[in-house]
Amino acid sequence: MSLKVLVVDDEPQIRKQLKIGLGGYGYEVLTASNGEEAQTNAAQHQPDMIILDISLGSEPNGIEVCRSLREWSKVPVIMLSVRNEEKTKVAALNAGADDYLTKPFGMEELQARIQAVLRRVVSEPGANAKGEIRVGNLYINLVNRHVYVEGEEVHLTPKEYDLLRLLATHPGKVMTNRAILNAVWGAEYSEMDHYVRVFVNQIRKKLHENPARNVRYILNEPGVGYRFVSED
Amino acid sequence: MIAFGSARRHFLLISLFIAVTLGAWILRETLTLANFMTVYILVVLIFAINSGTAAALVAAFIGFLCINFFLVRPYYTFLVADPREIVDLAVFLIIAIIAGRLAAREREQTKVARQRAYEQEILYRLTRSFNQLTTSDEVYKALTLMLQTDFAARQAYILPYATDTISPDQTVHYLLLQAGEKIYATLCVAFDDKLISQQERLIHACASQAAMALYRIDLTERASKSQQFEEADRLKTAILHAVSHDLRTPITIIKTSANNLRHLRERLSPTDWGELTTTIETEADQLDKLVGNLLDMSRLQAGALQLNDDLNSLEEVAGDAAARVWQLTKQERIKIVFANDMPLVPFDYGLLLQALSNLIDNALRYEPPGSLIEIHGGVQGDEAQIRVVNHGEAILESEREHIMEPFYRGKEGHVGLGLPIAKGIVEAHHGRLDVEDTPGGGVTFVIGLPLEKEKL
Repeated sequence: MSLKVLVVDDEPQIRKQLKIGLGGYGYEVLTASNGEEAQTNAAQHQPDMIILDISLGSEPNGIEVCRSLREWSKVPVIMLSVRNEEKTKVAALNAGADDYLTKPFGMEELQARIQAVLRRVVSEPGANAKGEIRVGNLYINLVNRHVYVEGEEVHLTPKEYDLLRLLATHPGKVMTNRAILNAVWGAEYSEMDHYVRVFVNQIRKKLHENPARNVRYILNEPGVGYRFVSED
Repeated sequence: MIAFGSARRHFLLISLFIAVTLGAWILRETLTLANFMTVYILVVLIFAINSGTAAALVAAFIGFLCINFFLVRPYYTFLVADPREIVDLAVFLIIAIIAGRLAAREREQTKVARQRAYEQEILYRLTRSFNQLTTSDEVYKALTLMLQTDFAARQAYILPYATDTISPDQTVHYLLLQAGEKIYATLCVAFDDKLISQQERLIHACASQAAMALYRIDLTERASKSQQFEEADRLKTAILHAVSHDLRTPITIIKTSANNLRHLRERLSPTDWGELTTTIETEADQLDKLVGNLLDMSRLQAGALQLNDDLNSLEEVAGDAAARVWQLTKQERIKIVFANDMPLVPFDYGLLLQALSNLIDNALRYEPPGSLIEIHGGVQGDEAQIRVVNHGEAILESEREHIMEPFYRGKEGHVGLGLPIAKGIVEAHHGRLDVEDTPGGGVTFVIGLPLEKEKL
């Protein structure tokens, strides 16, 4: 049985393109043009995934829709935003969205995000049955806390390791600065965004990231936080 | 000089009077009438200096009665035995009254002079502090603060509109802050007691000084705004020229490609088909980039840029910019070298990424094939620097000063929006963007950002 995706956008052309595109990937696509219609459709058809535009051009906006959905539903939500909207992205995540994508985007990118979100929903969050993570040249052994790059062991400080483990055990998921600080440093540090930046920078150096050759493990989500690369 | 606080002062003066009378009474057989009169004149002068004319007159008259009653034979009557003493007493009363009034007037003049000096000092201080202020809010704050500290106002605040309410008990004053034709706000100030006229005059003077300061700030703001409007207008014309060419080119390519796909569907080879669809995508990206640049440019020029200047890592920006180049070209074309102790700097991530990407695009366009451009990060003095190093040809002296002007067309006819936008973004951060020659040929762009957040 194919997965049902509800697309909510006020632009008819975008709804049409997404319907064609996602249909091509084998999803069954439902659409809604405003917040109220979105909520009715979500209740009636119980979709497996909702693609929700942040600015719907009418009330309620995407963030409000997401918030009220979360009162009764755990359906995965990916928000669509435009450039220069970092604050709204954080607001969307706080309202319960699982991820966001910045317009304009390609269909492969959307499909990859949908798959990543669905995979995370299916598997127990944070659980890692094998106790190890392999991405590119990076190998993390979660059991004995060892990290290897190209077969060589990398020495991380305990905080660096905790931060890397937190990101790596949530591949593809945006972790907000606040969530990272809460988990690694504790709630009383939740305003110290620059800690995260400094530590991520150190970890990257130790992991020999080279963005110019696309060797990256931790991706920037400016103004929001960080995202560990997806396994695929 | 003998001078005391108000209630205490009255008590002391009366005590002094009683003590003098008592002392004189005890010595009434030893001293002469002339001695007593001299002492009482001194008492009258002390009254005059401390409490003014009325008190001096009362003291003179009661002194006269006391001498007559207690000290002049027959005692305890207002009769006078020796007729010569009547003359002495009359002369005493006249001298006491005249001396008392003279002393009291002297006292009034000193008081007025002191008040004047105080007013002058307050106005001077206010004017001097206003001259250094650059926003109307600061003026309001300085004015209300001064009223509360120097005038002991119970309350002082600014109403953002004009009102000429008059309070019934005259302890609350509404003053218009007005300069020329324009009313900026109303000052509302409340006191515990009704003000005397000098205080009222002084507060009016303060208010008009504040209004002058507001007027000056207003003029400065208007001047800078009109300059911005002119700039924006010039930009608008330039955008209109550019739109016809640089926006239409990708649109034309997209349209013809889509058109070909529709009409030639079966006749297209798989290679052509793939190429057409790829073209549509890359031209759409091009269009997106151009629209982003145009938006940034107009926001920069309109002065409407809201910087989100959290502490950020320049190395992250360089990494994102380099990764973007890889994603577009699938080639390694950039070498990133950053100092190990690179500090975090306050800047707007999205905007700086745009600026750096523009510089990188420009550097890549002129980089010889097979060679890598370099991005260096480090600290020089009090600024963080990113250097984008290209190894192509040296820049012509004639071009150097123009390449950062909006819509300047270089020798390849490419519209220059990227560099002026990069410059605008960096300058909005109080930083600088400079062009240098790369040793051995090529152009190096240097972004310098202040390490500390500038006080705006």
